[in-house]
Amino acid sequence: MKIYKNNYIQKIGLIALCSGLFVLPACKKSFLDVDPQAQQPAVTFWKTQDDATKAVNSIYGILRSNDNTGFSAIAIESVGGDDAEKGSDPNDASYYNNYDDFSVSSTEGQLQGFWNGQYKNINLCNQVLDNIPAISMDANLKARYLAEAKFVRAYSYFRLVRAYGDVPLRLNVPKDASEFNLPRTPKAQVWAAIEKDLNEAAAVLPQTYPSVDLGRATKGAALALHAKVAMYQQKWADVLSYTNTVMTMGYDLFPNYEQSFRLNNENNIESIFEIQCEINASIPGSATSQYSQIQGVRGTVAGYGLNVPTAALNAAYEAGDVRRDATIIYRGETTPQGDAIPVSVPNPMYSQKPYVPFNLINTSFNQGAQQNVRVIRFADVLLMNAEAANEQGNTTLAKTSLNRVRARARGGVAGVLPDVTTSDKDALRQAIWKERFVELAMEYDRYFDVIRQGRAATVFGPKGWKANKNEVWPIPSNEIDKSAGTLTQNPGY
Amino acid sequence: MKRIFTRISVLAVFCLLAINVAFAQNITVKGRVSDGGDKTTIPSVSVLVKGTQNGTQTDASGMYSISAPANAILVFTYLGYTTQEVPVNNRTTLNVELASSSQQLDQVVVVGYGTQRKVDVTGSVATVKGEEISKQASVNPISALQGKVAGVSITNTGAPGSSPQITIRGTGTIYGNTGVLYVVDGVWYDDVSFLNPSDIENLSILKDASSQSIYGIRAANGVVLITTKKGKTGEPVITYNGSIGFKAVTNQVEMANATEYATIINELSASNGANPLFANPSSFGTGTNWYNQAFRNALQTNHQVSVNGGTEKTTYNFSLGYTNEDGIVKTQNYKRYTAKLSNDFQVLKPLKIGYTVSGTAINTNDINDGIFRQLYTAGPVVPVYYADGSYGDANDFSLGGGNNFNPQVTLDYFNQKTKNYRFNGNVYAELTVAKNFTFRTSAGGDFGQKEIIGYTPLYAATQGQRTTQSTLKIEREETRNWILENTLTYKNTFGDHNLTVLAGTTAQRRKLYNISSTAFDVPYSSDGDLYLSLGTAATRTVVDRGSLSTSASYFGRINYSYKDRYLLNATIRRDGASQFFGGGDLWGNFPAVGAGWVISSEEFMKEQKVVNYLKLKGSWGKVGNAGVPVNPTTLTVSQGGDLVAFFNGVGYTGANINSLVPSFLNWERTTGTDIGIEAKFLDNRLTIETGIYNKKTEQAIFEIPILSSIGTASGSLIGNQADFQNRGFEFLATYADKSKSGFSYSISGNIGINNNKVLSVVTGLNPIYAGGAGIANGALSTRTIQGGAIGEFFGYKVAGIFQTAAEITGSAQPSAKPGDFKYVDQNGDKIIDGKDRVVLGNPNPKFSYGLNTSFGYKNFDLSLDIQGVAGVDVYNANIAYRFGNENFSKDFYDNRWHGAGTSTTYPSAAVGSTINAAPNSFYVEDGSYIRVRNVQLGYALPSLLTSKWKMQRVRVFVDAQNAINIFGYKGFTPEIGGSPTNAGIDASVYPLSATYRFGLQVTF
Repeated sequence: MKIYKNNYIQKIGLIALCSGLFVLPACKKSFLDVDPQAQQPAVTFWKTQDDATKAVNSIYGILRSNDNTGFSAIAIESVGGDDAEKGSDPNDASYYNNYDDFSVSSTEGQLQGFWNGQYKNINLCNQVLDNIPAISMDANLKARYLAEAKFVRAYSYFRLVRAYGDVPLRLNVPKDASEFNLPRTPKAQVWAAIEKDLNEAAAVLPQTYPSVDLGRATKGAALALHAKVAMYQQKWADVLSYTNTVMTMGYDLFPNYEQSFRLNNENNIESIFEIQCEINASIPGSATSQYSQIQGVRGTVAGYGLNVPTAALNAAYEAGDVRRDATIIYRGETTPQGDAIPVSVPNPMYSQKPYVPFNLINTSFNQGAQQNVRVIRFADVLLMNAEAANEQGNTTLAKTSLNRVRARARGGVAGVLPDVTTSDKDALRQAIWKERFVELAMEYDRYFDVIRQGRAATVFGPKGWKANKNEVWPIPSNEIDKSAGTLTQNPGY
Repeated sequence: MKRIFTRISVLAVFCLLAINVAFAQNITVKGRVSDGGDKTTIPSVSVLVKGTQNGTQTDASGMYSISAPANAILVFTYLGYTTQEVPVNNRTTLNVELASSSQQLDQVVVVGYGTQRKVDVTGSVATVKGEEISKQASVNPISALQGKVAGVSITNTGAPGSSPQITIRGTGTIYGNTGVLYVVDGVWYDDVSFLNPSDIENLSILKDASSQSIYGIRAANGVVLITTKKGKTGEPVITYNGSIGFKAVTNQVEMANATEYATIINELSASNGANPLFANPSSFGTGTNWYNQAFRNALQTNHQVSVNGGTEKTTYNFSLGYTNEDGIVKTQNYKRYTAKLSNDFQVLKPLKIGYTVSGTAINTNDINDGIFRQLYTAGPVVPVYYADGSYGDANDFSLGGGNNFNPQVTLDYFNQKTKNYRFNGNVYAELTVAKNFTFRTSAGGDFGQKEIIGYTPLYAATQGQRTTQSTLKIEREETRNWILENTLTYKNTFGDHNLTVLAGTTAQRRKLYNISSTAFDVPYSSDGDLYLSLGTAATRTVVDRGSLSTSASYFGRINYSYKDRYLLNATIRRDGASQFFGGGDLWGNFPAVGAGWVISSEEFMKEQKVVNYLKLKGSWGKVGNAGVPVNPTTLTVSQGGDLVAFFNGVGYTGANINSLVPSFLNWERTTGTDIGIEAKFLDNRLTIETGIYNKKTEQAIFEIPILSSIGTASGSLIGNQADFQNRGFEFLATYADKSKSGFSYSISGNIGINNNKVLSVVTGLNPIYAGGAGIANGALSTRTIQGGAIGEFFGYKVAGIFQTAAEITGSAQPSAKPGDFKYVDQNGDKIIDGKDRVVLGNPNPKFSYGLNTSFGYKNFDLSLDIQGVAGVDVYNANIAYRFGNENFSKDFYDNRWHGAGTSTTYPSAAVGSTINAAPNSFYVEDGSYIRVRNVQLGYALPSLLTSKWKMQRVRVFVDAQNAINIFGYKGFTPEIGGSPTNAGIDASVYPLSATYRFGLQVTF
């Protein structure tokens, strides 16, 4: 009986063994084919209009990133100028001094950050531009989406070309490794590509959006950016034509200069393009902007106090110019929103444009992460119009546009900031340049504006700027290392 | 016919014995069981009165006590040793030595899917007894392996209960899972921090490819087989082990005091062209020593109880463990509760079933990850508290963003508790299906749930440390892994031929799910309030993620030996892994062969007396590594909060593709060749094991930085992109003896020498830069290039310090300031740039060694372990990782440049500037160390006393771990670790500490 039982068990064992050996291979295919978890496979993307919408959303979302608006942008686009300097405590983020005195070397980290940031934007745009055309969806919406991507791509290349000169021009997602390592494209071709994108964007983008889409790139934004792009190339006829068009599109100066930069006046009538930032506690990871935090008044709850106005900027304002107090937060002052700035803060001045009132600071997020970044304002368009008109010999138009900007700066007080009346082309040019300085101060515009004007050696020379070198920053050395020599360094670095 | 008679007579003798036993007078027999080779005592040896179910076990120190008839025969059984039968013959003391080397042939080691006689092993397998692990102060069992095995390098971190980094024979994998595979009773794990060291019976470390290849899929970084304690036939044996002790920081780094700090910060301000921050530095006195403020002597207590016993049909082992370990930083605490039960049943003669289940709960009070950086950088001019009791505020001293904090606030307001529950084990059935054939099936599982609850209240401690709302974060992680295995073993002996054949299959599934949620404005009056639903509804968020991977495998092995002299082993494993589905070779084949020759068994060796045992062995094998992220070739859509667009203030989901995946990813394979010698001399007192190996990792999966202009989020791409080589030599010598006076000792030394080299990289001669972790300005401090070692330090060579402005003019660094590093212009082009960087050091240790000794005399025992590494460099990233007014070490302060002629080696206070912080030779230091790893003195109470207390044995001990550490490195510890291309970079590592304990062991 026992023997029988053992045999019985052994037989069961044999069956189990055989099934174990044979069942496994039979099910191997499905068993080893597991789906990615919590991640949508890309092969299921780019199928629907909804996919297209999300992808286009992403190109706006990424513009808030630190590389686009924070530490790197300040290094590359701001502290080199004479309106801004490092600020904060002397020993804090002292690398900014290398951008201020032009001693920066190619290994400095912010060079890489800015470079990365722009190419990340460009990749997302290229994904949109390569993949949305094949999606079956509303044709008008598709065209608009493509135009929006072209705008953001053009904006990113504009920032790259003025920072680094010749840069790799990537207009498609690389198909394979053979397309990874692109050499630098001469900047003329990069400018051409930017203009092509902006032409195509302006042809399609709507002048306005319904309120649910407020913040998307408009036709006005494409034209205004195009005007700026043309201005950097001294294509004055184009600048004039694009700005003239924008001036017919319903934009106007916001009456109160100081108020135009506050949270409740975001996307106002003067705004042509803003990077949209919010604190939304229910969307984790979305409050990415450090724009306001980095520049917030040091020694208060607001932030780090970097990128502060210079004495030169403070002195540049004419008597009675309301823009001075709206651009500069002084040590010891009380802001219009009622925040008392202690006299003990380390710097005499801080930038007011990114300022978020202290009662709106939320410690669970980057301070002031809700503050939009004003990229192009109508005032800039007016001043570009003035400059182009002057260069084209139309001093009347030039003065009209210029004085429109000055008029607001009086803050309703008569007798200050008199209209510019000169018809001398050179004098008028100087007046327009001066106006750009004070109107657009601390808006990441001044540094490259002066280089573009061809007088950087005069204006920045005293702090170390050298012609034939400092027109562009060095290419980040890590990137040159990775390219195995395909990328070359800018002269002098 | 004769044989039958013999059997009958034996039976008759047994019957007579049994009758005799029944009538004989019982006496108490005591004694010690030890290893015949190294003379160390063996715990948990089963001691059985032959022919009865009356049995016991030896305790932790190898002692036993049993009541037996005066004429009985005692049977001593232990895995890995020859069963020995000893007649009592009226003796009350019976000391027994098991498995003396004359019985070498019968020593058994645990290998993959079974055991093998040590003599038959042709690969390189090191075994460590559980007792060696559990006697140490280490809470994590793997930490205790440090210095014990040649070629096995353990890098411990000081955090309570943390798992060390373990590298077997050099770094062979640099991406994905670079850790070893742990197999505990047949179940696979990546980490065994849940294991109670006292539950471990035996550890086998498979070092060479031929032994590993039976675990093909996951074996490339080595395999550690852990066998836990099983029940043993006999009366219940109850054992208690307990200890209490404390941990204290050793080699504490001295920081500049307040006066020194104010002085050097003023120098820093001057170098940045600013006015002094402190008008009168000396007014600050010595200020706050933040390390002293945060560190403490940390209590460590440990209690273990186990019950072990069984009958011939059923055996059991049950254990409970409790460990409570404070961190050396105040508020940090680690508690581990373990329970384990294993049962084995001989159901029928051919059928055995059993199970092992264990439950672990680990509860920790966590500290902020950034606390060590804060303690290093915090300004000593800031008091912990002001006179009014409020916190000292760095903002009041205008110290700036780099250190705008009070570390005490960080400690006080960081409130995070982690609870980690694990339930794991396996069940098996073993069936003799036919003569010589054994079928075994087992199912194992590992189920874990981890819960992290962090709560930050609404508070305002300092200007920089305050909140505008409370935040509750709850994170849960679930692990559900299972493994099924079936094996069929054929074992037979034909004359002089021994043959074992094994065939098997396995299937595994590993699933992880993590969900993390936060809510704001959760009120707090007790822990009962810590629910998300009490927070503001609009602020609740949920994020989850998961991973899933599967694998299926077939394997087979043949072990053949002829006359116990000529040995041959061959293995094949075929694995399929979901990681490679659709984008590579789904299946990988991993063969191995090994051969051995026991020279000492040859006729021509019979006459000589010098060599007692000599074996020459060689092996070759191939193993794989599927430890890459799941679905590596599947391009996925990114959909993070950073891509959310806001239009008119409303958030809209953003999704796009911002990554690249390789179109094809193949198995990473490691091929290893191993040649070794095992020998015994001097009447087996001296044992030598030595060997050389050559381990080549082919098609290593490697994340190569790609151009940022491609625009991907990660900036890197994985692929099969490199070949590495680790070549080395290992040597182990053990001398053990026992004098007539009862003095026994064992001295064992081991050394491993390893050379790591990159044979090729797809980028050719173009290096891969990494090592940016904790390095200032995003600079990269390591380089991996063909012909070099993995992750070698790379940067400028410091020639000196610029003393004057005149010296700078006309130098290769025109923008330098006095007090800056002067770098060597390697290419002589009068410009210091990336082309002037050179190799500065190697983070891969060349030598690792250990010396393990034990001494016994009468009731005293002493053990002393020394361990170290040499030929290794570390990178001190703390010095230059500065944003503003961070503190400096006293060493830096004392030696800094502060005016012409003050220093030619240390730079000025502006060490954090881009030019000075660039990776350079100043930061690379020798990482060699030697330490007294363990020293333990024990005393067993006289048995006269213990038997009165009805105890078999009582032993007390005192010990110390890491008591003496000798190294030249200026940080807390040169034992740093890190991922292979970021190894050896000290960016605020957990400080080294020493543990001192008093302990008690009782066996009932």
